[in-house]
Amino acid sequence: MAEKTDVWQGTLALMVLKTLQAMGPQHGYGLARRIEQTSGDRLQLNYGTLYPALLKLEQEGFIRSRWGVSENNRKAKFYELSKAGQRRVLKAAAEWEQTTEILARFLSPAHEG
Amino acid sequence: MRKLKALWMRLRVLLAGRSEDGEFDAELESHVAMHVEDGVRAGMSAEEARRQALLRLGGAEQTRQAYRERRTLPWLENLVRDVRYALRGFRRNPVFTITAIATLALGIGASTAVFSVVDRILFRGLPYAHDDRLVSVGLVQSLEKQEFTLGGFFYEWRDNQKPFSSMTFERGVNACDLTEANPVQLQCARVAQTFLPTFGISPELGRNFLPEEDLPNGPKVALISDGLWLSRYNRDPRVLNRTIDLDDHPVRILGVLPKDFEMPRLQPADIVLPAAVDVAMQHTVNSGIGYPMWAFARLKPGVSVAEARAEMEPLYLHTQQWIPAQFREEFRLQIRSIRDRQMQDAYTAAWVLLGAVFAVLLISCANVASLFSARGAARQRELAVRSALGASRGRLIRQTLTEALVLSLAGAAAGCVLAELLLRVFIAIAPTGVPFLAAARLDLRIVLFTVLVSIVCAGLCGITPALERPRATALVARSMKSGTHARLRRVLVAAQIAISVVLLSGGSLLVKSFWNLEQQNLGMKTRGVIAVHVPLSGARYTTTQAYMDFYLRAEAALRRLPGVIAVGISDSLPPDANGWHGGTRLADMFVAGKPSTPAGTGGTVVTRNVTPGYFQVLQIPIVAGQGFTEEERRLSDHPMILSRTLAARLFPEENPVGQHIQQATYNPYFTLSGPVYTVVGVAADVKNAGLAGQDDPEYYTLRRDNADDWSAHAVIVLETTLPVSVVAPWIRTQIAQIDSTAPAEIETLTQTVNRLADRPRFETALLGFFALCGLLMAVIGLYGVIAFMAAQRTQEIGVRMALGATRMDILRLIAGEGVRLIVLGGVVGLGAALAAAQLLKSLLFHVGTHDPVSFIAVTLLLALVALAATLIPARAAMNTDPMNALRVE
Repeated sequence: MAEKTDVWQGTLALMVLKTLQAMGPQHGYGLARRIEQTSGDRLQLNYGTLYPALLKLEQEGFIRSRWGVSENNRKAKFYELSKAGQRRVLKAAAEWEQTTEILARFLSPAHEG
Repeated sequence: MRKLKALWMRLRVLLAGRSEDGEFDAELESHVAMHVEDGVRAGMSAEEARRQALLRLGGAEQTRQAYRERRTLPWLENLVRDVRYALRGFRRNPVFTITAIATLALGIGASTAVFSVVDRILFRGLPYAHDDRLVSVGLVQSLEKQEFTLGGFFYEWRDNQKPFSSMTFERGVNACDLTEANPVQLQCARVAQTFLPTFGISPELGRNFLPEEDLPNGPKVALISDGLWLSRYNRDPRVLNRTIDLDDHPVRILGVLPKDFEMPRLQPADIVLPAAVDVAMQHTVNSGIGYPMWAFARLKPGVSVAEARAEMEPLYLHTQQWIPAQFREEFRLQIRSIRDRQMQDAYTAAWVLLGAVFAVLLISCANVASLFSARGAARQRELAVRSALGASRGRLIRQTLTEALVLSLAGAAAGCVLAELLLRVFIAIAPTGVPFLAAARLDLRIVLFTVLVSIVCAGLCGITPALERPRATALVARSMKSGTHARLRRVLVAAQIAISVVLLSGGSLLVKSFWNLEQQNLGMKTRGVIAVHVPLSGARYTTTQAYMDFYLRAEAALRRLPGVIAVGISDSLPPDANGWHGGTRLADMFVAGKPSTPAGTGGTVVTRNVTPGYFQVLQIPIVAGQGFTEEERRLSDHPMILSRTLAARLFPEENPVGQHIQQATYNPYFTLSGPVYTVVGVAADVKNAGLAGQDDPEYYTLRRDNADDWSAHAVIVLETTLPVSVVAPWIRTQIAQIDSTAPAEIETLTQTVNRLADRPRFETALLGFFALCGLLMAVIGLYGVIAFMAAQRTQEIGVRMALGATRMDILRLIAGEGVRLIVLGGVVGLGAALAAAQLLKSLLFHVGTHDPVSFIAVTLLLALVALAATLIPARAAMNTDPMNALRVE
């Protein structure tokens, strides 16, 4: 468990949006598994927190949901990006990149000297 | 935007009220099923896979809970539930609810109404830039207590002063006629060119005068008020540079004054003209002292009023040389803030009112606090049950706060209605002299403030029981112990009693003072006496002969009216509160063959120039010698009647009748060239310095049928046996027959005197009202606490009675508690009241601030009412049936 990291605040939404952008419509369980796979199984997702996060994104109008049928013929609720969601992913990803870049400068060994 | 949208979605779910939990359950189910499938595929048993799936979810129920909280607004949901719960609780306990709401309404209503009034008086922003730096500068003396100045002083002060950044003056406001098409009479103020800049006023339109427009023969220019701009020119901007005819002279309009413009002495003004004072003439005109004017100045930054006064004093002493030596001692320099000048003695009354209302607010808060605290103590068991059932501490606190909030809001709503009503009543009964009262409006800030205060009171006291960890014992205890609450409530009740003693004693002092004022002997008859003022226009009456002709004809005509017993004419009427009356100084009266009174001593003397009928109409008795006679009016003698006080002052040991008195005049220097008066009689004293003033000595001279004795100052008094409503039209007809343009102002002397008492009546009514409110609330509080304690101790009473206590013992037990509180509160309150009474000093008339009768009466009243409030519940406790009491719960 030690090397598996918990998902920290605020980033889950971005991961969800990014994943939906990459994969298209997806149900909650599939999303969760996909996020873990993308992280190379280094992320340990508490699935219970995923659903309120999805609800929040839906309330904010970034994603839409509808009932559909999964690959295993199971009834499931599918989520997909809205127009606003598409814009949001681009913007948030750019912001995130900038943030990490700045942080990286602070943490790079050259800075320590 | 996104956040708002999300909020709206959540609110919609809440409002829709229907549960959509089923949908999420389905989603969750499909999630778990997929997870289990994967697990089984990976080789786990179905059971193990399901366990893992639920584990990774962090529990199905927790997930549902988190989802639900996100779906709607849980705090709002809880709030709605809390409000419903609180309302249900209030319905179950109507006495508590009504008392609390009534108390709050009274406290909030009274304080809001009074504060809305007082705010205009004490804290109103003046329409000037940095109004706190503006002062009024001038001279005062015994006959004129409102500072004024004269041209001879002003320019020397202005040129040599240091404490002010600028000094300016106004020369008063006079009637002026706009003599173009549709002529109208207006009020014209004359001010210096520096007036607007000093006050920091900029015209709404156009510009201020230039210095060259403020010269004696400069161009005629004017600024007009916003009101005039609207009423006459319909806000036409082309009014600038228009020429208007003012008193038949063309005057060019330079600008329009801002809407909120007002003269510093609050005179109404439609037009502001440059004063155009000839500076060089100020040491020659008006006996060498210059024109009268009213000076104002702006303090330099960091200079206080006291410092300015100290700095101006040497300058004043230097300019004192312009005052004739005889009066020099009487004059003083006065510098005070404009606000002080405008408000005069309304200040004291306003602070007293504010204090009274603050006391009422305190009492009402204490009352609400003790009500809530009592309720809290009674609900300990309920709280303990809810806590045992899993309610969190925060939840209980929120619940209590909601109750306080709901109650306070109800009280506030009722309070606002009450405040509006009270304010209307205040405005209706207020005397005209209270500045700005008519414009008072309910102040929302104050409503908010008082509501907040009461919420805090209720909240703090309601919350204490919820804050304490509910003890397990509260669940099982048969009787509820609530030591700290009980102590708090006792302190609150004692404090309420103390505060109401302060209020009541203040109220009773004012009532007694008002009683004295109303009951005092005026020294004259007012019933059935009518005063007739006829303001004659100076344009039509240009000589004293013309005035005499008018008034002699009027006198003769009124005398012929049926029901009129006597008619007299004077230049002024007692009791002389604010009106003009003739005056001199005792030191300026020289008795033939006697040394004069030293200059600067003896004070002022009221003088009146009257016809013989004056004494008859007002029924002022002549106590020595004789009165004036009708024959004397046609002679050229100078008879004089002294008031008893003046006679005693001038002739302590001699007979005043037959003495000769001469009056000094200053023109500009002391002369004794006036007529020699012969004292023919002594009249009884009449109140002549207002209702509350210290009486001045007075003398009467005869108003003869000689033009020298007449002027615009004249008032006709007549005694009639008929009601004024009958006589008034006859009087108007008679006056109109002599001069159809002269409007007669008719008023009974009783009305005049009553109006003088308006102010004290207003103050007394208000303070009395608050005192009664305070008493009522304190008594309710006392009753509540005693009744509550008696109820709490029902079981104890039962035990005591079972053990042999008599009913009297029980009465003593319960009532003793109340008596202790009354005595404690009463003693503290009496001490505070004695101290607070000092503040009322200037409002009291012939009542000492420590008037024993008032204080004893208040103490007795309070003791009686409070005892009654104690005895009712104590008696109920006394009649407790011990068997029932023991069976309680």
